[in-house]
Amino acid sequence: MNEQVKQALIAKLTALADDELILAHRDSEWTGHGPILEEDIALANIAQDELGHATVWYGLRSALDGSDPDRLAFFRDAGEFRNCEFVELPRGDWAFTMLRQYLFDVYEALWLSAAARSTYSPLAEAAAKVVREERFHLQHTQAWVERLGLGTEESRRRIQAALDEQWGYAQQLFVPLPDEALLVAEGIVPDLAEVKEAWLERTTEHLRKSGLELPLQPGYQPASRQMHTEHLWSLLAEMQSTARWDAEAKVW
Amino acid sequence: MDTQWPRWEVFKQDTPAKPHQAVGSVHAADPFHALLTARNVFARRPQAVSMWVAPASAIFSVTQEELAEGQEPKPPAPDPRPSTFYVFRKTSHKRSMTFVDYVGELEAASPQQALELARQRFTDAEALAWWVVPASSVTKSENSPETVESWFAPAKDKTYKQQSYYGVVGSHVSKFKRPRGEDDE
Repeated sequence: MNEQVKQALIAKLTALADDELILAHRDSEWTGHGPILEEDIALANIAQDELGHATVWYGLRSALDGSDPDRLAFFRDAGEFRNCEFVELPRGDWAFTMLRQYLFDVYEALWLSAAARSTYSPLAEAAAKVVREERFHLQHTQAWVERLGLGTEESRRRIQAALDEQWGYAQQLFVPLPDEALLVAEGIVPDLAEVKEAWLERTTEHLRKSGLELPLQPGYQPASRQMHTEHLWSLLAEMQSTARWDAEAKVW
Repeated sequence: MDTQWPRWEVFKQDTPAKPHQAVGSVHAADPFHALLTARNVFARRPQAVSMWVAPASAIFSVTQEELAEGQEPKPPAPDPRPSTFYVFRKTSHKRSMTFVDYVGELEAASPQQALELARQRFTDAEALAWWVVPASSVTKSENSPETVESWFAPAKDKTYKQQSYYGVVGSHVSKFKRPRGEDDE
C-alpha cells in the first residue's frame, strides 16, 4: 500500500469510527429515559454495539498509524472529528431517534456487506463480523418505523416530521471523502454511489409502506466532514468530560 | 385507561438439544415486537439458538397445590378454538430462574383436556406447575441460518466484566460495623 492510499484509508477509518462513536453517544442518551424498560435495554444494546463498531474501526486505524483510540475519542476537539452531521443532531423524540437509527442501519448493513469483499483483508474480516449484528438492529428499527408510521395520528406526525428534517442530512453518508476514489479503485472500500442506490431503493420502499412521504425538497445537505453543527460541541463536552478530568479514571 | 402494553412470556432455547425454557416476560405491542425485545432482554449475552413468545393471557397455568386441592383456575377461552397445545412443566425449585420447560405438544379439544392428557403422558418427573399454551398463540424466532446468526451468534464472542471487577471508592461496609455488644450498656 503506498503512502497516499494509506493516508486515504486512515481518513476513511476515522470517518467510519467517528460516525459510530457519535451515534452511539446520542443513542446512549436514552438510557434511563426509554419509553418502556424493554426498549431502554434494546437501545442501550444498540448503542453498545455501535460503540463496539467504533472500536473496530479505530483499531484498524491504529494498526496503520499507531494512534490510540482513547486519545482520538476523548481528546480531540469538535473541529477534528470527521463524523457526518446527521449523527450529531440531538436525539429528539423517540420517532426521531428510531428513524435516524433505521436510516443509518440500512446504510451500514449495505456498506458492510459490500466491504466484506474488500481487498484489504483486515477490513473484509471486520466487516463480515460486524454485519451479523447489524442485521438484527435493522429488523428492530425497521419494525419501529413501520409501527410509528402506521400507528396513531400523533406517531405518524412525529415520524414524518423526523423524516422531513433528517432526509437531507442522511445524504451526507454517501458523500465520499476527498481521496476515497483511490480506495475504491484499489477495491479497498465499496463505491458509495452504489451503496446509495441500494439504500434509496430500500428505504424508499419501506418508508412508503409505512405510510410516510419522502420530502419533495431534500433540504440542507452537508457536504464536508470538516464542518459540524453546534450540537457536536455540547455532545463532546459531556462525552469527554470524565476522561479530560481524570484520564486514568480507574477508580470510581 | 390502561396504557400498559400486553405482557408476553418468553421461552429461550440454549442449544438445539435443550428444551425451550421460560425465562421471564416482556411488554410489547405485538408478537414480533415481543420477540425483538425478548432477544434484547434475555439473549444479548447468554447463549441461545431460538426464542418463542406467547401472550401471558393465553397461558393456562396450574400449580401442583391447585390440582391437589381441586381448585384449578379457569383457563383462558381461546378463540378460535385451537386443537394443538404446547405443554410446559416446572419440575424444580432449585435455581433462581423459573425454568418451566417445554415437554411436548398434544392435540386436545380444550386447555383442560390438554392438561389432563399432559398429566397422563408426561410422567417422567413430578410436576410442580403446568403451563398449557395454544400452539397458535406462540410466535417463534426464525430458524434460518441468517437469523440465528444475527440474533444469537454475536452474543457468544462478546466479553464483559462482572460488576465486581470494578473498584469502588471507599471501603466495604463491614469496616464500619461495630463488633456485636459494643453498644450494650
